[in-house]
Amino acid sequence: MNLIFHRNLPAYDQYFLPKTTEEAVSLLAEGNKEAKILAGGTDLLVQMRNRQLVPKCIVNISSLSELSGISLNEHSVRLGALATLRDVEVSPIVKKEFPLLHEAVSQMATVQVRNMGTVVGNLCHGSPGADTPPPLLTLEADVKVVGPDGVKTISLDKFFTGPRDTVLNPNELVTEVRIPKLQPNSGTAFLRLTRVAADLAKVNVAVVLRVKNGICEDVKIALGAVAPTPIRARKAEEVLRGNMLNEKLIEKTAQTAAEDTSPITDIRSTKEYRKEVSKVLVRRAINICIKRIKKGEEG
Amino acid sequence: MSSQQKPKITLKVNGKSYEADIDLHRTLLEVLRDDLDSNLTGAKYGCGQGECGACTVLIDGKAVLSCLTLALAVNGREIETIEGLAENGKLHLLQEAFNSNGAIQCGFCTPGVILTAKSLLDENPDPDEEEVREYLKGNLCRCTGYVKIIEAVLTASKG
Repeated sequence: MNLIFHRNLPAYDQYFLPKTTEEAVSLLAEGNKEAKILAGGTDLLVQMRNRQLVPKCIVNISSLSELSGISLNEHSVRLGALATLRDVEVSPIVKKEFPLLHEAVSQMATVQVRNMGTVVGNLCHGSPGADTPPPLLTLEADVKVVGPDGVKTISLDKFFTGPRDTVLNPNELVTEVRIPKLQPNSGTAFLRLTRVAADLAKVNVAVVLRVKNGICEDVKIALGAVAPTPIRARKAEEVLRGNMLNEKLIEKTAQTAAEDTSPITDIRSTKEYRKEVSKVLVRRAINICIKRIKKGEEG
Repeated sequence: MSSQQKPKITLKVNGKSYEADIDLHRTLLEVLRDDLDSNLTGAKYGCGQGECGACTVLIDGKAVLSCLTLALAVNGREIETIEGLAENGKLHLLQEAFNSNGAIQCGFCTPGVILTAKSLLDENPDPDEEEVREYLKGNLCRCTGYVKIIEAVLTASKG
């Protein structure tokens, strides 16, 4: 499909800058599927420019101060819907609690895009190759969603339904991501492979590993850009979980993860390469986690 | 507001206040270049997709892409463009460094590069080469091959 990027954006009928979340939600409902949420605009305006999206109404949520910020609670960290990728990148809370999320966000796009774009926007756009889903899937994060029927919490595991498709209705607004803190003896890693510096991933991998006395107490492995949605490699996790860590087992885990993928061939990579690289990155990520746990133990 | 109206927005650009009546779907880039009294054509339309950085301006000191910013969304905000960098005819340290290091060829990418570099040095006054390369990766240049650009930023950082 050849997309033309027009110099000007398409005209739309209405622009709103609501002052409360309730107002925003009711505007979205009134919009009847023709209203789009504007936060950073780094996905929305691109899609408008190539006419993939021609909304009739824009609801700018940037004034909803209750959606901003990153906060540390007793058991979890909260990322507000307006927390930009850059906010997350420079956040000492995120760097300390979830190194793999810091790593993922630091490598995304460019400084300019990270200054504008939000983590929640990245999730809601639902690109299968996005960089925030794999870390957040391994961290078992969930999102708080506000809609005309009230507030609900959706596990990220159930969030993605297809390429650029999520469970969200057009009149629903994600207000925050909640990430439970990691257990002790955990190591995390995020790796990705791209063509050039600022590019979408050919493959990206996130691993959260917990080891005690050489035994894998728990492991979570997630991959992006290798399936219609970001995925958890659950069969691979079962290979490793509860067992003594050794090179052969890690290799088997990585191999199983690659088998869990269903990549396609596109302009960034081929399905064969993606399958092979999935295995390599999972193996490397697990080994990085092990190193980090050892380093943590040594203090 | 609806498309029946042409809302008036106010922008403070490089310390000066401007007003314009604009269409709802106008981007900040278009407003800066075409809709204000002083056509501020330093910011350029490169890709329209957020990949080249030629449209970079500074808002609250942060480098952002004006081609992906609705003008309405920055109503009332303060914006810095390349035209505001020199003070009373005296070039900014970065502009001097770009001149003396031969970091400008056609000049199309230059406003965006310099503003992004300014934002870098404001955050990190003494970056190493790797940090400069990483920070500027959102500003593409087809002429220079980047070597002189990196040198110019490092020169400027040394004061």
